[in-house]
Amino acid sequence: MTGLNDTLNVTREPPKPRTFSKAYWDATREKRLLLQFDKRSGKYQFFPRATSIYNGHRDLEWREVSGKGQIFSFTIADRARPPFQGHEPFAIGLVTLDEGVNVMANIVRCTRDQLKIGLRVKPFWTPLANGTHLLMFEPE
Amino acid sequence: MALRDTAIVGYAETKTVEKSDRDVWELGAEILETLLDKTGFEKGEIDGLILSSSMTGAGNCFWSQTTADQLALEVDFCQTVDIGGCSPLGAVARAAAAIDAGLCTTVMCLFADTQAAENNQRMRAFHNEWTVPLGYIGPPAAFGLLSRRYEHQFGLDYAALGKLAVAQRGHALLNELAVEKLRKPITVDDYLNSRMIAEPIRLLDSVMVCDGASGLLVTSRKRAEKKGRSKIVVPIGYGERTNYRASEPIVDVTESGHYVAGQRAFAQSGLGPKDVASFHPYDDFIIAIMMQLEMLGFCKRGQGCAFVNEHDFAHTGDLPLNTGGGQISAGQCGLAGGGTNVIEAVRQLLGEGGKRQVKDTRNALVTGIGGIPYGRNWSSSVVMILTPNA
Repeated sequence: MTGLNDTLNVTREPPKPRTFSKAYWDATREKRLLLQFDKRSGKYQFFPRATSIYNGHRDLEWREVSGKGQIFSFTIADRARPPFQGHEPFAIGLVTLDEGVNVMANIVRCTRDQLKIGLRVKPFWTPLANGTHLLMFEPE
Repeated sequence: MALRDTAIVGYAETKTVEKSDRDVWELGAEILETLLDKTGFEKGEIDGLILSSSMTGAGNCFWSQTTADQLALEVDFCQTVDIGGCSPLGAVARAAAAIDAGLCTTVMCLFADTQAAENNQRMRAFHNEWTVPLGYIGPPAAFGLLSRRYEHQFGLDYAALGKLAVAQRGHALLNELAVEKLRKPITVDDYLNSRMIAEPIRLLDSVMVCDGASGLLVTSRKRAEKKGRSKIVVPIGYGERTNYRASEPIVDVTESGHYVAGQRAFAQSGLGPKDVASFHPYDDFIIAIMMQLEMLGFCKRGQGCAFVNEHDFAHTGDLPLNTGGGQISAGQCGLAGGGTNVIEAVRQLLGEGGKRQVKDTRNALVTGIGGIPYGRNWSSSVVMILTPNA
């Protein structure tokens, strides 16, 4: 079995935030993970939205979280488009954070044998050209 | 009930090709002419136009209006349905509603896309921020995540999925309108050995983007009778759901909106899963067929592969499946691809299936899948049950 590529050499275009996701990306400059927290329902949500997914109100605040969680599911990309082409195979995971949201991200520093649903993971940040960072996960 | 008062009086479909050398409106014109020739309706009698989404049309926010102009249709009702692969069935349901509301009398539902030749789409969704930076190729990666999760929860019999792929391929061999590249027999081993795209999604799990068009002419049963059209197809049940469990932060990706859409369609039709004579599910990936069997109640959750192993999906079998090959073996005409499933169902119910004609034409169940959301299942699910001249 070939190993998995951590894709750290891939040059990724820094995403352009929306007005309601800017705080998330700003915090990644310091490798801090912020999630939207809905004060009415007492629950977190991801990805950031302009409204609460729970009740349609906008009583949302940003809260910093550890980013620890476990793998909900994963896939291994054997085919990719530029700029990822030639860096296959690499892992994409859907991770359930301890705060109760699912986040999609690359899983790095992880072998195929280790990569399992339920594996505990923690954040791994890779720098983007504009000073922000992209959230990835590695085994805890 | 409005739905049952509706008549599909004609269908039309172009050859599916890998890359069209004809403009999307040339395909649309072929569909229009075929519908007129087959039904005896005149162009001036068409007073409604409903389009499915189209990657080719995606750069134009006047898509239905412009297409009406290009085809010189003067209409009282004009719209595009933009729920992805659910759009063709959604178009039929909206045609029925518009006719029932008195907004128009006769609607051309046109599903035309030349995505392979001319893709003008620019997504404004979550992708740029949340999935593009991961090297995530939308649908295959999403179905890779979904399949792995299904396997974790229930176990996954890949040979059973292969059986579905083989059955559909067998039907494409009998369908002259299917894309030529795919009109070659395959075996379960071919399926299992096909190369991985987004593990565990294989090449032979996946649709190939192609170009083509199809369409239906929809009017009221009364008007169909007046015009002497007795060979018609009637929708007797319809359910649609977009963003199933939208208010939940984590969803079980093995469950889809077809659960609720199917219940609604069955309740309206008075039929149940055991009554379904032929099954024409939207097929972007093979596992979606198996999951829809579960969601629609053909079997219990987690039992989809066992159900597949117990049934014969050939056109001669006990549950004929996508008898034209489905999109996976006939080719996916971009966002018009859902037309492939519904047109085949209508063709079969009218007894025009030719070499692949099913015996039991009492009804057909057709579905749609539209859109791939973030970390969920799929965005839209539709279910329609059709009968011939009920």
